[in-house]
Amino acid sequence: MSLLELKNISKIYGELKALDNINLSVDNGEWVAIMGPSGSGKSTMMNIIGCMDKPSMGEVLLDGVDIARESAKNLTAIRRDKIGLIFQQFHLVNYLTAVENVMVAQYYHSIPDEKEAMEALERVGLAERARHLPSQLSGGEQQRVCIARALINHPEIVLADEPTGNLDEANENIVLDLFHQLHEEHTTLIVVTHDPEVAEVAQRTITLDHGRIKSDLINENFGK
Amino acid sequence: MSKRKMFFKMITASLVRRRSRMLVALLAIAVGATILSGLVTIYIDVPRQMGAEMRNYGANMIFMASSNEAVFDRAAVEKGAALIPPDQVVGVSPYRYETVRIHEQPVVAAGTDIEQVRTTSPYWMIEGDWPSVTGDMLVGQDVAESLGLGVGDTVNVMSSDDSKEKDSEDLLNLGVDMKITGLLDTGGSEENYVYIAMEDLEGLVGPGELDVAELSISATADELSKYVDTIDAEVEEVTPRLVKRVTESESTVLTKLQALVFLVTAVVLVLTMICVATTMAAVVAERRKEIGLRKALGASDSSIIREFMGEGLLLGLVGGIVGAILGFLFAQFVSVRVFASSITFQPLMLPVTIIVSILITGAACLFPVRNATKIDPALVLKGE
Amino acid sequence: MFIRMIRGAFARQWKKMLVIALTIMLGTSLATAMINVMLDVGDKVNQELKTYGANITVLPKSVSVMSDLYEMEGGGEDSGSYLLESELGNIKTIFWAFNIVDFTPFIDASVTLPDGESVPLVGTWFNHHLDLPTGESLDAGLKTLRTWWDVDQGEWIDEQVEGTPENAVMIGTVLAEREGISVGDTIHVQGPVKDADLVVQGIFDAGGDEDSQIFAQLDLAQELSDLDGYLNKIEVSALTTPDNELAEKAAKDPKSLTIAQYELWYCTAYVSSICYQIQEAITDSVAAPVRQVADSEGAILEKTQLLMVLITILSLIGSALGITNLVTASVMERSSEIGLFKAIGAKDSSISGLVLTEIIITGVVGAVAGYFLGFGFAQIIGHTVFNSSIEMKPFVIPIVAVLMLAVTLAGSIPAIRMLLRLRPAEVLHGR
Repeated sequence: MSLLELKNISKIYGELKALDNINLSVDNGEWVAIMGPSGSGKSTMMNIIGCMDKPSMGEVLLDGVDIARESAKNLTAIRRDKIGLIFQQFHLVNYLTAVENVMVAQYYHSIPDEKEAMEALERVGLAERARHLPSQLSGGEQQRVCIARALINHPEIVLADEPTGNLDEANENIVLDLFHQLHEEHTTLIVVTHDPEVAEVAQRTITLDHGRIKSDLINENFGK
Repeated sequence: MSKRKMFFKMITASLVRRRSRMLVALLAIAVGATILSGLVTIYIDVPRQMGAEMRNYGANMIFMASSNEAVFDRAAVEKGAALIPPDQVVGVSPYRYETVRIHEQPVVAAGTDIEQVRTTSPYWMIEGDWPSVTGDMLVGQDVAESLGLGVGDTVNVMSSDDSKEKDSEDLLNLGVDMKITGLLDTGGSEENYVYIAMEDLEGLVGPGELDVAELSISATADELSKYVDTIDAEVEEVTPRLVKRVTESESTVLTKLQALVFLVTAVVLVLTMICVATTMAAVVAERRKEIGLRKALGASDSSIIREFMGEGLLLGLVGGIVGAILGFLFAQFVSVRVFASSITFQPLMLPVTIIVSILITGAACLFPVRNATKIDPALVLKGE
Repeated sequence: MFIRMIRGAFARQWKKMLVIALTIMLGTSLATAMINVMLDVGDKVNQELKTYGANITVLPKSVSVMSDLYEMEGGGEDSGSYLLESELGNIKTIFWAFNIVDFTPFIDASVTLPDGESVPLVGTWFNHHLDLPTGESLDAGLKTLRTWWDVDQGEWIDEQVEGTPENAVMIGTVLAEREGISVGDTIHVQGPVKDADLVVQGIFDAGGDEDSQIFAQLDLAQELSDLDGYLNKIEVSALTTPDNELAEKAAKDPKSLTIAQYELWYCTAYVSSICYQIQEAITDSVAAPVRQVADSEGAILEKTQLLMVLITILSLIGSALGITNLVTASVMERSSEIGLFKAIGAKDSSISGLVLTEIIITGVVGAVAGYFLGFGFAQIIGHTVFNSSIEMKPFVIPIVAVLMLAVTLAGSIPAIRMLLRLRPAEVLHGR
């Protein structure tokens, strides 16, 4: 059974159909890139998968549970337990240090564990920057903290929204390398991007246009 | 690390590392708390302080001889005054009026305790000095004018004829030389008398009963009438009476003044508290994005509210303590400047100020935080 | 474009602007109310202190000292020992006439009761209506000058009530008790010259010597002694300024002052200058302050005013800090916007101009609303405490306006300067 399944999803804002009858299923451990121009519905889809929004119509099955029917409170719990979020603008709490930012996610999930948080930062190569505030970190470093935070609770899906949008090429490569590692550890990755280079390295690329799926391709070069 | 420890780490980090913003909030709370503690302390203490000022109007109770046989003397007055709490008694002046002769003219001399008169009649205006030793004399302005006396003159005071008849000792007929240390200006009938020490008067005309005793008591109108009843019942030598002109007017004026300070305090407090609340609300509203982020990370509404309230309450606590201290200092400054006396420390004001600061801060944070938690995290995270 | 940007800011940030305007409004209303109350509190408290009775007594110049001392009856017959009733109105023609709130004439007589006891009888006004030569009119008398009298039995005499008998009198409790007189009784008294039947209309408790006296209407008392048109004493209640050194010096001898000092003294409502002016207006009179009332009044007025000044200063500092604080916070909040403007090449001056204009417009709106709110608060205080309106002095408006402008600028300029010093990239990127 698929980990995530979207069935006949539509999202309508007044006259505008942001998503128009989408069907999609993502298997456990898959690495999916979602592409498309601005206004194609990428963000709406990401919000729905990330339990931050509900579709106007259709079902969203995550682990067999229809999250479109859940209350806002339950959505928060599902997001906390199953989803790790990575943002284009990083969104770190600016008065907490790198390691504390990671611990915030632990705090809301279960119990803060500084050792575990440090290991997560070590993994993204930031062990020696753990005590710095976000304003003292470069963009790439901030994004790595954000990734460490997304991973700390071992989510079933890591959802990244334009993770490299604010990064230079060197940092972009670091982030993509991390994604590779995650994939090898069988983490399900959904990356929303408009950068073909980022999409290229994914296992599967879905292209959206005007709220519909324009193409759904398996990357033949994957892993090479 | 326990959850609670992380909770405190987060709120203290927010307070310490977001220094400028938190200072803004802290300043607002501290100013509010200062005004609260300062004005309320003044408000509580004003009746006492103003009451003391009102004692400037002089005696508000008099003792007179009762109609029975009992002797009305200084011992009787002291017995009566002892029934009033000593810290409320500002002064007790006994008076005995006898006619004496100065320059062969009859003049009424009042024997009294000059030190006490200074407290029971603080409004007396003296040209020259107050008498300080026996043998000194204070002369009413009218007497001085009609007899042609001036400050520094020494005059011979004799007992009047009728008392001489009663007492055959020749010494009394010679009279006593007394020095005029000051002329008295009151604009009232006091200007027609001369004032000498009780001992001098007794020396002149012999011992005798008092005519009246004036008391200045720092107490409310209710307390005063209670004292009158007690003394009337327990001291048979004395008939106490209130000087209504002073007591009634005092309570009228004091009531007004208290109402004035009360209303001013109320208006200032309400406005200041709203100011504090708007500032706090502005400071919290600024952090909508952070609230959105926390929600996206899976924080429940209740845990976000708990964290922000924790932060607010900590601010309220610190601001409240600072304000309570500053407010007391302000009240003390006012008291010293205005009433030249130190203010009573109201121990209750400390917890009250802190609790009110915490409540106001809490209420001011609660609404914007609750509003912020209703927001879709996706919307907050999207917009830069 | 500038106006368009401002308009945009207001249209899209109206909530934030509203908070600033609200805070400025509260601050302004606080300042307006407190300053106006502070300025008016002297007059108001002065009025309240009138309950202590007259603060000036006017006596005939050649009144015999000995007569008062021995409480001799009648006094001398020569006209120099009396004041003239016809000159009473002159009191309201002096320089400080406006400050004279009340005055009442007295004529003393001693009457003999049927049982042979001699009792002091005082002729006076109770609630007399007086038309002044200036065209004004005044209600004056004991009713306002003896607020502390308790009239337990019967009622106050009121000359203005139709049908009040000319021989109505009020007597003190002590006398009433001693003689067994009650309200409605008629007592026959023998005056120095004539005799009369008096009807007791009220029995009062004054808590003093007056409790053993009879108070009759002026005409009746004058008739009893055959002293039509003459008075013994006038009590005057005046609003005064607390005495200072100048006033004390002048009280001793006005001639010791320089011309400038004299003018200042004469034109200030010191109790001594009012006394001096009353002496000028009434022939052969000596006006003297009643120290008990006048001095205490001065002390209490001074304390109250100082208290209010300090409270006002505290609340002004409080509201100034509050506004500065909020304005600073709201400017800081716009760091990214200011960084953006800098990034697209705006000059520092134009950014400051934009932000300042916004805040000042908000401030003006808030301040105007605040003035009226403050007006309301001042009137609430005035009516609740003193039963009269607080006078809103127009010169408070510019004071408050300047204050608020200064406070708003003090809140925004340092914040703007601080933000301008930041490099745009820093502001835009790492918050």
